[in-house]
Amino acid sequence: MASAGGGSKDTLFLNLNPMLDIFSILITFLLMSFSSDPVTHNVDAGIELPESTTIVALDEVPTVVVTKTEIVINGKKIADIVAGDVPEKDRTQGAIQPVFTELEKLGEANKRLAKNIKSNDPNAMGSTGALTMEMDKGHRFKLMKRIMLSAQQADFVQFKLMVQKEL
Amino acid sequence: MSRRKKRKPGEYKDIELNIMPFIDIFSMLNTFLLFSAVFLSVGILEVQIPFLSNAPPEDQKDTRAFQVSVDVSKENVEIQTSFTKAPEQLQKFPFKNTKEGLKTFHQKLADVRKQNSTIDKATVYSDDEVTWESLSLVLDAMILRVEGDPIFAPVKDAKNLAKAELDAKTFLYQKIVMGSVMLK
Repeated sequence: MASAGGGSKDTLFLNLNPMLDIFSILITFLLMSFSSDPVTHNVDAGIELPESTTIVALDEVPTVVVTKTEIVINGKKIADIVAGDVPEKDRTQGAIQPVFTELEKLGEANKRLAKNIKSNDPNAMGSTGALTMEMDKGHRFKLMKRIMLSAQQADFVQFKLMVQKEL
Repeated sequence: MSRRKKRKPGEYKDIELNIMPFIDIFSMLNTFLLFSAVFLSVGILEVQIPFLSNAPPEDQKDTRAFQVSVDVSKENVEIQTSFTKAPEQLQKFPFKNTKEGLKTFHQKLADVRKQNSTIDKATVYSDDEVTWESLSLVLDAMILRVEGDPIFAPVKDAKNLAKAELDAKTFLYQKIVMGSVMLK
């Protein structure tokens, strides 16, 4: 055994092959996971998604994000959530007024975009009437219903509800 | 002009491959991939909400159509089957909203779908107090076929038959309508 003390002139050869093997396997795994899903999205730190056996992959980044304390649309904070519900001042007929206003703007922009696209291919236009929603698993259906109602008024009738796939 | 030294046959020289640049590249690639990797696999559950229209729904105009709905509360889930016109033949099948209860709930839904295989739409009515976590489990049990479920016939009048056949093999009730989303 080579000693680390002075005086010895033995040369130490570090065997790098096991490290290279590990690196190769790690890179293969990471490259595979890198390209498996069409859209990758980092879930907000304040959100816990419910687990699901769904096989349908996420195909667009979420428009509506409902954390434990706020509702965010396209990165913009729209309303607060207090005790699992929006404050009374923001509610109208069971819906949420600021959410409706924001989604209406989004709907108008989508319609303009759809008009401007010359292509006849329906896939090229994307799903302009669908909303992807990321919501904390602890929220009650009452809140989800309010958001859905607001979206309904803004002509969004299809929802893609984000869940965590069981591995 | 340099003169190349000819190696005599049978004379070998140790060649050491410099693998340090190789390791450097691997390290950089590893770091980049680890930073960009997403370890949480995210999926979606697709649902619809009732569309506001003055026109009566197609299936309720003339024909007597079969319909399936599910009532979700904190403690129970109940399947209700009926026809859109008299005699309605309303039937109710209650289950516990637990892991075991949802298994039998799924089996019953599969039976219902088997008897009316061309109907792939179900309406969900949920109580306000049901959590999204609990509701997602019910939706899971409704949407996907599991091993042991019968293979259903594709939906009638499908525009793309190949897709309809694939969907019939994958989904139990593909179209879920959140019926309780209505303005007060």
